[in-house]
Amino acid sequence: MRIDDCRLMIVDLKDRAKRFHQSSIINHQSSIQRGQWLSFIFAVLLFFCCSGVVAAADVNDLIFQGADYHYKGNLDKAINRFEEAIKLEPKNEYAYNQLGILYGKKGKFDKAFREFLTVADIDRQNTFALLWLGILHLRKGEMNQAFERFNKIIQIDQNNADSYYFLGTIYNFRHNPVMAIEYLKKARNADSGEADTHFRLAKAFHNADMIANALLEYNRALEIKPSYTKALNEIGWIYYNTGKKEAAIKQWEKTLKINSKDRDAILNLAKVYNDSAWDAFTSGKRKDALKYWRKTLNINPGNKAAKYYMAKYG
Amino acid sequence: MDRRLFIKLLSQSAFVSYGLLACPVLGWSRSAFDLALEGQDLIQKKNFSKAIKALQEAVRIDPKSDWAFGLLGRAHLGLGQKAEAVAAFRQAVRLNPADTYSRMMIEITTQKPIPRPVKKKKPLTPLEKEAMHEEQDILKKLRAEKGLGYKVKRVVIDAGHGGFDPGAVGKSGLKEKEVTLDLAIKLHERLTREGKIKSFLTRTGDYYIPLSARTVTANQFQADLFISIHINANKNRQPSGSETYFCSEKASSAEAAKVAALENSVLKYDEPYKKKQGYIDIEEILFKFEQKLNWSESGEFAKAFQARFKKRLPLKSRGVHSANFYVLRRAKMPAILLETGFISNPDDEAMLEHSAFREKIVDSIARGLV
Repeated sequence: MRIDDCRLMIVDLKDRAKRFHQSSIINHQSSIQRGQWLSFIFAVLLFFCCSGVVAAADVNDLIFQGADYHYKGNLDKAINRFEEAIKLEPKNEYAYNQLGILYGKKGKFDKAFREFLTVADIDRQNTFALLWLGILHLRKGEMNQAFERFNKIIQIDQNNADSYYFLGTIYNFRHNPVMAIEYLKKARNADSGEADTHFRLAKAFHNADMIANALLEYNRALEIKPSYTKALNEIGWIYYNTGKKEAAIKQWEKTLKINSKDRDAILNLAKVYNDSAWDAFTSGKRKDALKYWRKTLNINPGNKAAKYYMAKYG
Repeated sequence: MDRRLFIKLLSQSAFVSYGLLACPVLGWSRSAFDLALEGQDLIQKKNFSKAIKALQEAVRIDPKSDWAFGLLGRAHLGLGQKAEAVAAFRQAVRLNPADTYSRMMIEITTQKPIPRPVKKKKPLTPLEKEAMHEEQDILKKLRAEKGLGYKVKRVVIDAGHGGFDPGAVGKSGLKEKEVTLDLAIKLHERLTREGKIKSFLTRTGDYYIPLSARTVTANQFQADLFISIHINANKNRQPSGSETYFCSEKASSAEAAKVAALENSVLKYDEPYKKKQGYIDIEEILFKFEQKLNWSESGEFAKAFQARFKKRLPLKSRGVHSANFYVLRRAKMPAILLETGFISNPDDEAMLEHSAFREKIVDSIARGLV
């Protein structure tokens, strides 16, 4: 299907179909009345034209219905509509891509992979299909193949934020912050609206000890998604590692307000309280030490260290 | 007709007719609804430029009108301005997630490359300025390495056990916690001296640290590698030698599974991941991919360390094993657990008491990192 104003196109096509249909009837009648052979041929041709237009309208209807069912979570009906659309238009890239997503959502990843491959065969410029092929390679743990797919996308589209995102993320996983920063900055510059991009870029900066940049990007992630607890937790460590213990604690407490079961925030707080308790204890401030161990147990009741020291000194 | 639109139409029709009459006299501006209607009409007449003007004004007056944003998307598309069209459709979907048409148009339009919209530059905030200077200072100094090889720039060294948990105790009274702490500190000092790799310790004295807190330290410092140092023990005094463990879903042997079970016995596992039906979680795919990479990289490190132990230490090599160790699994980076001898074996214990032997262990680990 062409990139077009679909709904208007459907309406237009239906109107045209009606008009064609009416005109074909008029022409047909007149041809019989006049007995003119040429008019009859013209009418037959028009009938075929008209059928073609109706079929095109059906494809668009099916696509629209498929998209609607997809949104409403009725995956089977959506699959049915897109498969029907493909029967009418066997090279409909959008329908194949949607089928890929739908099969992926149903956990049929091999089938999804085949649908995206079909699109890539129809048109090698279809970056959406290439992107999903890359993601499905990642799912199978195939780093090099995924890397190639994402690189291919960049050759086609130098503004493709998603492929930069995945390439940068792979470099992040390889603990190569310089390359991760290079790609994730491109992802951010191509589309600054994704909290995950800012978060991954922040992680790369953080890994390279570029704290101001890390902080800036974590904050940008939070501006987009205030409940991004992973960003809150990392900001906590930036504060803690730069001597701002209370500010760090506030960050993790914020996380727990959003998700009281956030394991990272619980363990971070438990560690910081335990460390503070031990520092206080070794400096002879037993009361402070006990206060911190109590705090540890409030947040992490199973904490073996705090339990033991509270029992011994509490 | 959309129900919301119908209600809008009803509520505004009387007002609009009155407004249309009164506008020229009273100088009232037109409503967003009028402008959107005009935009729709102009789209049908294929006058997209005028439609865009009317619709831009409509969304300025009513920034919550998904209908006007949807129309604006269509008008941009009419002029071939795909990036602007996608931006308008996205806004329509943000305002009304049930807008199938706009969502579909985004998906169709973004299947293939679209030009990037031009962004307006904003003045920098103080943090942005600081970040810019930092980037100019630091990023150029860092060497870009393009390969996908794993890079180790910082290590967290974990001295096993500590405090009330002495670990295994040898026949002559040597405690695992003391040996591991000494090895960890020596390794930390060596790496600090060399200056190529930053290192951090999970504990610096004789106190207990819960297992969970050990990997938290690794995450705290964004470590590239987590090394947990232990000394093995067995009820039977015969077994001796070194072995290296890394995390894997399945244990490499029944013995490894037992070791992991013993280590994990005091802990509760995390809640199992509940897979959402009808949803592809890309972040979960990335998380599992990262975990797989980390575990595979851990295996590589484990092999390298064990090979060095075999070559440089007068200890029998018991090989590399894998199991689902909690302490390793929670690490967000490659993580290995070294068992540098058996404290329960009198010969190994005797060697472990000597500073020169400990130096050899430290040397093997440090060389394995570079």
